[in-house]
Amino acid sequence: MTRTGLLGATVALALLACAGTPARADKLADIMKSGTIRISTDVAIPPAGMMNAQMQPTGSDVETAELLAHDWGLKLQFVPTTGPTRIPNVLSGKADIIISTLSVTPDRAKVIDFSRAYTVLQSVVGGGPAIKVTSLAGLRGMTVAVTRGTTQDTELTGLAAANGFTVQRYDDDATLVTAGATGQSPLIATSVALIDAVKQKNPASDFAPKFVLDNFDIAIGLKKGEPRLLAKLNEWVLANLRNGKLNDIYKKFYKTDLPAAMRPPLVQ
Amino acid sequence: MSFDFSSVFDQWPLFLHGALLTLELSVVATVAGFVIGTACALALRAGGVLGGICQVYVEAIRNTPLLVQIFLMYFGLASLGFHLSAFVVASLSLTVNVGAYTAEIMRAGLEATPAGQIEAGECLGLSHVQIYRHVLLLPAMERVYPSLASQFVLLMLASSVTSQISAEELTAAANYVQSATFRPFETFILLAALYVALSLVMRLGFAALAFVLFPRRRRLRMATA
Repeated sequence: MTRTGLLGATVALALLACAGTPARADKLADIMKSGTIRISTDVAIPPAGMMNAQMQPTGSDVETAELLAHDWGLKLQFVPTTGPTRIPNVLSGKADIIISTLSVTPDRAKVIDFSRAYTVLQSVVGGGPAIKVTSLAGLRGMTVAVTRGTTQDTELTGLAAANGFTVQRYDDDATLVTAGATGQSPLIATSVALIDAVKQKNPASDFAPKFVLDNFDIAIGLKKGEPRLLAKLNEWVLANLRNGKLNDIYKKFYKTDLPAAMRPPLVQ
Repeated sequence: MSFDFSSVFDQWPLFLHGALLTLELSVVATVAGFVIGTACALALRAGGVLGGICQVYVEAIRNTPLLVQIFLMYFGLASLGFHLSAFVVASLSLTVNVGAYTAEIMRAGLEATPAGQIEAGECLGLSHVQIYRHVLLLPAMERVYPSLASQFVLLMLASSVTSQISAEELTAAANYVQSATFRPFETFILLAALYVALSLVMRLGFAALAFVLFPRRRRLRMATA
């Protein structure tokens, strides 16, 4: 490498380093100044986000976002997203925060910051009233259906041999729900919401959760390096867990309370 | 992009199990479908009520997607209270599907038999059964054998859609490996290679069968499968 080349590379590196440091006012100030908060929410994952008959977004995440915008006195602008584009939306600055059933994982925590958990995603094993199981051990000799490649698939497949049950895999959630509703698969492992979907499709199946496999923490996601915004989000989540509003939203869409561990003592 | 096949190869028992199930499905559907198809072709040739029923069956199956037939059988029968396992429904629907195609192929073969040959058989004093066997069926099958063989290979490839109803065949196994290893490219390259291998195995099998069934073809060194 020539001397000029070396110099050029050093300058380029230095410029890159400068570009990496935040050079603008913090996000919270920007949001408050603009009077609008842009929230990334997937409206194609009922009941967290969906469209109602009037084609307006509704769902637990949608109501959570509305509550936040209302509390902060801001106008709410939804940034439509799909599962895989949720994080890129805040990284690229298209959205300010993510409220979209974003479960907290170590991999994601490397790229974005998480607020404290505002709700949970319950992964359960569900079935009709004829089947009496209350734990993994009770599954011996039975077959549990899952959607291929989901966390439930990975988890149950690892436990199947030791607990003596079989895992049956469908290619997508829709087929899984139909399998439950038609009775082809009397036991399915999925999110609480989908167990309810089975019952709605075929009320006679009387599908209900049998036991909880996992509670995944769901939190608000934001770009790294915004301590003031993060602190304000944490404060808001805690306040609304305390006053029961987040629990109300959860109960409205999932027909059950948030786990007790998530609900701090009520403060009036 | 760099390839890493090791994590995919580690899952070979899953692939092997899947490939065996695919082969099993194909063999069951080929044998049963051939019997049904040939019977239908004969009924179509004879006409009458039975021929009419067969015509409806052939048209209904050949004009609807295989996946729709599979879902109808898996979820439709379950709604009526018949709970059959995914493997049974997969074999059944593949059989029904390939039976209709076989019926059309065999019908073409039967129609190509000149009437004079059947008359010649009658003149020689062959019984009804003998005429069917030696004059009609075997020569008809010989004529359409390459189409039959490729239809059955197609069936083997089409069996990949039965993963939708949780039959753990080769594609289902690959999808599972893919979602566990996050190595989709490697997984599907291996999957494609396995399907090629299975196709070759089936073609070899059909060639061997033709060698035994059609001595005349062997003498003339005609193409088999």
